[in-house]
Amino acid sequence: MAAGVLALTAGCSGGVAGGGSEESEDGPIKLGMLAPFSGSESAFGAYMQNGAQLAVDEINADGGVLGRDLELVVEDDACDATTAVAGANKLVTEGIVGSVGGYCSGATLPTLPIFDEAGVPMVIPAANSNELVDQGLPGVFLINGTGDQQAAAAVQYAEKIGATNVAVIDDATSYSADLAQAFTTQAEEAGLSVVFEATVTPGENDYSAVATQLVGAQPALVYWTGYYQEGGLIVRQATDAGYTGAFMVADGSVDAKFSEIAGAGYTENVVGTFTQTPDMIEGADEWIADYEELAGDPPGPYSTQAYDAVRVMAQAIEDAGSTEFEEVVAALEGLEDFDTFAGPLTFTENHTLSGGGFVIVAVDPATSNFVLEDDLQG
Amino acid sequence: MMQLIWNGLIVGSFYALVALGYSMVYGIIKLLNFAHGDIYMLGAFVGFFTLSAFGISNETSIPLLLVILLLSMVTTGLIGVGIERVAYRPLRRSPRLAVLITAIGVSFTLEYGVRQIFGPNPEAFPVRLESRGVDLLGMRITASQIVLVVIAAGLMLVLAHIVERTREGRAMRAIALDPQAAQLMGVNVNRVISTVFFIGSSLAGAAGVMAGAYYGSIDFLMGFVIGLKAFTAAVIGGIGNLYGAMLGGVLLGMLESFGSAWFGGEWRDVFAFAFLILFLTFKPTGLLGARVVERM
Repeated sequence: MAAGVLALTAGCSGGVAGGGSEESEDGPIKLGMLAPFSGSESAFGAYMQNGAQLAVDEINADGGVLGRDLELVVEDDACDATTAVAGANKLVTEGIVGSVGGYCSGATLPTLPIFDEAGVPMVIPAANSNELVDQGLPGVFLINGTGDQQAAAAVQYAEKIGATNVAVIDDATSYSADLAQAFTTQAEEAGLSVVFEATVTPGENDYSAVATQLVGAQPALVYWTGYYQEGGLIVRQATDAGYTGAFMVADGSVDAKFSEIAGAGYTENVVGTFTQTPDMIEGADEWIADYEELAGDPPGPYSTQAYDAVRVMAQAIEDAGSTEFEEVVAALEGLEDFDTFAGPLTFTENHTLSGGGFVIVAVDPATSNFVLEDDLQG
Repeated sequence: MMQLIWNGLIVGSFYALVALGYSMVYGIIKLLNFAHGDIYMLGAFVGFFTLSAFGISNETSIPLLLVILLLSMVTTGLIGVGIERVAYRPLRRSPRLAVLITAIGVSFTLEYGVRQIFGPNPEAFPVRLESRGVDLLGMRITASQIVLVVIAAGLMLVLAHIVERTREGRAMRAIALDPQAAQLMGVNVNRVISTVFFIGSSLAGAAGVMAGAYYGSIDFLMGFVIGLKAFTAAVIGGIGNLYGAMLGGVLLGMLESFGSAWFGGEWRDVFAFAFLILFLTFKPTGLLGARVVERM
């Protein structure tokens, strides 16, 4: 412990195992957040940072945690594994005692062992690949629904609209491939036939080859599990190629830019699987106003999850009465029906949410935004 | 089958337009201009900036597209001339490696400069082509694809005319053969090189605008992959050879189209770059590269 404190104050990153991440007993409690602030996913970084900052400000106004102030430290992960690892090491040297970041699963995954070794518990607000918890690291908690839960919502909706032949396209990233796999498995279990599966390379413009194959396979519904830029292009190119079935996109594609890229008139058949956002939740007006006052912009995807991640972490530290790794993890495991935007939160044995909270959204032609279509309740 | 050929032709038109600039520049000063793909990106952003400045969005007009196309071509052409003047000309007598590294530096400057100005997020291009299709001969053809192919073919014809039939074109071919002899014969080498950069860059800029209008999404890294693909196309066709670049571009588009149909979309780039390696190993002069006399 004493060695750990010395190592950290000396700014050294290596080998601080098993807690001891406190810089001093009366300084602020630092929470770290890795999120994309550059690159194709950078819009989400700001949404997450502002959501988290709002929670930090509220908690500090209420007297902080264990009598100390919270402080949010952010680093850019650019949705890229190498950048994320560098960012994670930087956060550890800055002495964070908890991590409340993680948007892209592929970038979050390699940071888990770094935080684990440094004794930093992780409440991950957005990244939701099953791989994150499959490693069995004790300090990893997901508060976004997992790929399995999202796939379940997708299959449920496919059954609801009577689509028996379905297809799935992913972009080969960890999150996307994982979700596509879960969708295929669950669709087959539900008795649907998966008539076409494809993987595309992100960052290109021309997906006509996949579009042509998709038309040939004639599914009633196709599930795109990647991000919005490619998603918009694929919807447009498949429609041009003559595809007439339904399009379902996963949460990474649920963004107003998706409909702008697809173009007017191309989004009538598009729905998305998504966790609830503030504007879909009744009674969140006051929260939205607070957020806008802080950020100057309305909240977006993952603002609420980041907000909740900070609150969950703060509650656990308060319950634990310390920032020691084992005690905070035990407190996180012990949380029961903690009030969050996604409903009462209790972690399962796998450290995921007991309920996914996924809903179906569709594009509002007037604003290009995705709005609630079906809450899948009944 | 027909559909695969048609898809390949569309993608190939983009590759060919960008490959032309690569090949022309290599032909005349033996420089692999790795910033060339980013000129394509700049073309798209010049169009985006101009249209946004006039508050235009969600348009489908072809005349408007042509105006923007010309404007972007002139702008990117001038940028290309500027880059050559600032970054490459002072190094013309330096080792080739120095110029190559400079080209990569220029590439990063353009990419991250645009990111600073327009931000890192993809933008929707304000002019889109109507693209609902009709079925014909077992292919699905859309109006936008026809416009695209016609514009690309038109630009290439104009280029062929300039190179084959004008004094300026003859000067280019002369410099490609022997710059010193050309200079001794009274050819203004600097001016001709500037012209080549202008033409090559404006073709890439045109391709960028067309990609924006056809696909609809642009971002600051959009030139990276196509730059590499265009380089591949230029090598396949025989780098330095104009018709080789056109042929290589269309051929690479076809290869990718068939490759992804046979092996799946995730193998597309593997397939394309495997061909680059094959050509570099077994036929580095490319398909048409042997015709040295025609080089420029």
